Amino acid sequence: MALSVEHFTRTYGALTAVDDLSFEVASGEIVGLIGPNGAGKTTTLRSLAGILRPTSGRVTVDGFDLVEAPLEAKRRLAFMPDEPHLFEYLTVEEHLRLMARLYSVEDFEQRAATLIDELELKGKERSLPGELSRGMRQKVIIACGLVRNATTLLFDEPLTGLDPLGIRRMRETIVSRARAGAAILLSSHLLHLVQEVCTRVIIMDHGRKIADGTCAELASRVDLAAAGSSLEQIFLHVTGHGVSAPPGDPAEPA
Amino acid sequence: MLSVSLYIIVCSARNRMRKRLARLRQPRYLAGALAGIAYIYFSFFARGVQVQRATQARGRGGRQAAAVLNLGARLAIIGPAITGVGLLALSAVAWVLPFDSGLLDFSEAEVQMLVPAPVTRRQLLMYRLIRSQVGILFGAVVAALVFSTTSGYSRVRTALAMWVLILAMKVYFTAVTLVRARLASAEGRARRMLWAPVLLTAAAAAVLVRGLMAEFVGRPIAGFGDVLNRVRAVTTTGPARVWMWPFVALARPLFETAMVPYLMAMATSVAVLVALTVWALESHHALQDAVADVTARRAAASQSSRSAYRTGFVRWRLAPAGRPEPAFMWKAALQTFRVVDRRSLVRLLILVGTLVFMAVTVGRRNGIAAGLGTLTVIGALFTILMAPQILRVDLRQDLRHLEVLKTWPVKASAVIRGQLLWPGVFLSVMSWILIGLAVLLSATVAPGMFFSGVRVEWRLWASLAAVIAAPALVFGQLMIHNGVALLFPAWIQTGKQRSRGLDAMGQRLIMLGGTWLALAIMAVPGTLAGGLLWFAFQRFIGPAALVLAALVGTMILGIEVLLGSEALGPIYEKLDVLAVERADD
Repeated sequence: MALSVEHFTRTYGALTAVDDLSFEVASGEIVGLIGPNGAGKTTTLRSLAGILRPTSGRVTVDGFDLVEAPLEAKRRLAFMPDEPHLFEYLTVEEHLRLMARLYSVEDFEQRAATLIDELELKGKERSLPGELSRGMRQKVIIACGLVRNATTLLFDEPLTGLDPLGIRRMRETIVSRARAGAAILLSSHLLHLVQEVCTRVIIMDHGRKIADGTCAELASRVDLAAAGSSLEQIFLHVTGHGVSAPPGDPAEPA
Repeated sequence: MLSVSLYIIVCSARNRMRKRLARLRQPRYLAGALAGIAYIYFSFFARGVQVQRATQARGRGGRQAAAVLNLGARLAIIGPAITGVGLLALSAVAWVLPFDSGLLDFSEAEVQMLVPAPVTRRQLLMYRLIRSQVGILFGAVVAALVFSTTSGYSRVRTALAMWVLILAMKVYFTAVTLVRARLASAEGRARRMLWAPVLLTAAAAAVLVRGLMAEFVGRPIAGFGDVLNRVRAVTTTGPARVWMWPFVALARPLFETAMVPYLMAMATSVAVLVALTVWALESHHALQDAVADVTARRAAASQSSRSAYRTGFVRWRLAPAGRPEPAFMWKAALQTFRVVDRRSLVRLLILVGTLVFMAVTVGRRNGIAAGLGTLTVIGALFTILMAPQILRVDLRQDLRHLEVLKTWPVKASAVIRGQLLWPGVFLSVMSWILIGLAVLLSATVAPGMFFSGVRVEWRLWASLAAVIAAPALVFGQLMIHNGVALLFPAWIQTGKQRSRGLDAMGQRLIMLGGTWLALAIMAVPGTLAGGLLWFAFQRFIGPAALVLAALVGTMILGIEVLLGSEALGPIYEKLDVLAVERADD
């Protein structure tokens, strides 16, 4: 299993942000992590990326424990945060070059050229972050994540700030990486995106996992029978905000 | 609006205090707070007691007591006039070069939430005025503690007087900004009303200048005391006395020592403040424009600081393979070179080159070489002992990128070593250049000047020893500073705002004295080993033993730095990103 999370808990003082979370993501799988604000999604992703230390539990990436063998685990991970924190004094190309050095990327030149094309950063290679728009900076942070050969990709709201064409390209990028064998965990509030690209969905609320499965599996659950078949309806239902689908709703299964 | 203002002030203060008190639960922060409290006590209160005792002791001495009393009396007479002249000068200049009073500098949250709210412009101004009181009061209390060295009662008086004075100036500058914003657009009577304060200030300045010219032109000056007396005479007689009244009235409470005159002076000072506040509130029409202008300037300043980096100066390509430490060095070097303006650097080099050339060729007799030589030695000492505290292109600055750094598959100790590399190399090279220049200049000076009494071989061997020891001292300090950053991350400034609080004040003191103390302790093994070598070999090889001692001392300190980086590794691993206090960028 590419990514394995076992009984992961993270607390901030008296507050338990994530409580006993367990799940796995296999190679080639795209798992959507959704939940209302404050559900613990970002804390989960930041902990999986090695930014926050788990209070308890175990996280492994390709079998390497994130706490006991952090270097091996991190080498296989790529985290694309929602807020692009870049070094203001490094150009786009230099950011990629730095990543290549830190992650020992051998075929850097070729990879960088492909990525710059793929993410439409052509002509911006020598630009500093201060000269880029929010969307462009988001693309740079994603390029930094994709320039190395990570087996597990963590995306936190990857479409923030992107234009319609950028959104489409990003969707294609995510799907193509999964087809190439990467395990992908994607957190987003855009439920239609999650429903479209994800092979499985995990719904969190108040730091706990409250649902896990494909959209079809969730829709077929007995307790969710009244919710409807769309991910939005299921999400609202399991988080306690849902109403039964009105008769004749096209999203309702026949 | 008053209740809203108070609500925001109370909630902000309570939450800030709560956060700082919670931080004090950690022993390291508590130690810092205690150091801060001790500093305040010994610097201000204990000093006040000492001064009081000394004054009492002198009081028994008769003549000295009379001198102190004389000085106080003279200050009470001259002080208000001189301060009043300064205030008038500031007030006049404010119309030409507007000062940022801070009252119109609404925060982003205030712009987004309060400006669109259904409140009047006057209420918004009042809100900012009330909101600024805590800061002004704090500034006044600090000023009173620093400047007033007598009894506690005297400090309270000075603090109150200072509070009114600072507030009055803030209100005045705000009104000037508001009036200036509307001068061009207003018409008819409104325009004439707006010009009135400009003309009044100009008239006051003109009357004062005329009086000063009459007093000084063509009349020889007997000394500094004479200048002060004449300025006072101008402001207390004739038409200048009337025009200067509001300015002198604001300053007078600072210099009154007896109770009744102080209260009377405070009453007039407060009256001036009230008049200024009414004027500022009545100038509210241009508030939105002024706020927009201040916000735009702030955004432009933020943008210009962000875009201060320029590409194209340095073309250093990072090799895609290799150890991680040089990658950190490359990153920091680019940061340094990208803020340096190439033309300024060339100008500086030309200036230094010219000065050195002049000193070496024609400055032998006239002391230029000696003067420049002394400066280079001071510069070298500063670079080795102070610059590691100032040049922060290491973990201290990268704490703001901790979230990114933490995801990298790099050993913690390698991160720390990498962070030390660039500032260490940069400062070492700078110190080598300065030491080299000092040696060069010492060879050109006339006898009796700048180390010319020291034999050439001693100068050469000692400077070579300094060249060897400098990197160890620089890296040693950098390691201590980065260690402090890891141990006390909440004290490290990550944005433009400095961390505040008693513990933060203690931190700055610990950083200053503690770094040198820690460096001295770190240097003990190297100094002992070097000292032994010196005593063992100096009788055989003379001053060359200095180099031997420096080599061994540097090696030992270098090993300590390496061990230190390994020891700090686990602390970096355990460092929680939430422990870093985020300041506004």
